[in-house]
Amino acid sequence: MEKMTEEQVKSIANMLRKRSLWMIHYCTGCGAMELPPTMTSRYDMERFGLAPYVTSRQADILLITGYLNVKTLRRVITVYEQMLDPKYVIGFGSCTLNGGVYWDSYAVIKQLDRYIPADLYIAGCMPRPEAVISAFRHLMELIDSGKADGYKRYKRNLAYYKENQRKVLG
Amino acid sequence: MMDIVDKIKGIEGVKVTVQRENRIFVDVSEDKVISTLYNMKLIGFHQLSVQNVIDRIKDNKFEIFYVLYSREYKINAIVRTWIDRENPVIKTADKIYPSAHTWEREISEMFGIKVDGNEDSGKPFILENWKDLPPMRKDFDSVKYSSEHFVFRHSEGENE
Ligand code: SF4
Repeated sequence: MEKMTEEQVKSIANMLRKRSLWMIHYCTGCGAMELPPTMTSRYDMERFGLAPYVTSRQADILLITGYLNVKTLRRVITVYEQMLDPKYVIGFGSCTLNGGVYWDSYAVIKQLDRYIPADLYIAGCMPRPEAVISAFRHLMELIDSGKADGYKRYKRNLAYYKENQRKVLG
Repeated sequence: MMDIVDKIKGIEGVKVTVQRENRIFVDVSEDKVISTLYNMKLIGFHQLSVQNVIDRIKDNKFEIFYVLYSREYKINAIVRTWIDRENPVIKTADKIYPSAHTWEREISEMFGIKVDGNEDSGKPFILENWKDLPPMRKDFDSVKYSSEHFVFRHSEGENE
């Protein structure tokens, strides 16, 4: 049998990866309510090989819902750095994207992707389970095509992310 | 209900307004708050639901209020007092209502009000590394603070 090229190995790895994703969800802002129907029999995300998970070390996806402020950002970064590669971040709702209705708040940090790399955003308030599922499907496509490379960007641009983090967290 | 109002009126130095069924305002001067709260508890208001502050910046005052509830009578009584905005100090109510301890800690952080007798007042509570005016004061400019500290997204795509 011929030896497989590195490309082929990667593409098989990606294919397998996208079929078995475990998600840790960080829901201090909003939207935690949309996840139980997404996970359970109504919308049943397990049919795509997705499952909720409780610890950061075993999870592949970090789903962050709603606003993040200085206090919660610190925890999110800890969780993100505890996760093992490959890891993917989904921002859920307008707040992770641009601050949403809290754009003028003294605490909300507005843009998630200045602090950790986001692979995907679900815009709008609040995304229904259909939108969440379609985001997962999209993420699978990105993984398959090798475009979900947030964890690589985090390493490559570590100085940029760390500087931004230091600016708000002190 | 009216017999309770009469009982409250018996406390020294209070001004009682019945706003509507089951809601009473009890206004007192700053130095009589603690004794009033004590007497309210004796009357039957055993629960402190909320203690908080309103910044009455036009009058140059802070309004401190305590929302009390009586399960027995099903009445809310709101004890209010006003203090100066300059060097604001209040006395702790945590010997009467233990939950006041935490409310006061939040008040001292969010409004910069010193709480006498509460050893946790002034300790960091919710905010981290806060160096500006206390954020719930009306003269604190939230938009300015936010735009100075957190970058707003103007264009599409990631900022790399
Ligand atoms: S504005 Fe939108 S994203 Fe932000 S907390 Fe509310 S529902 Fe969630």
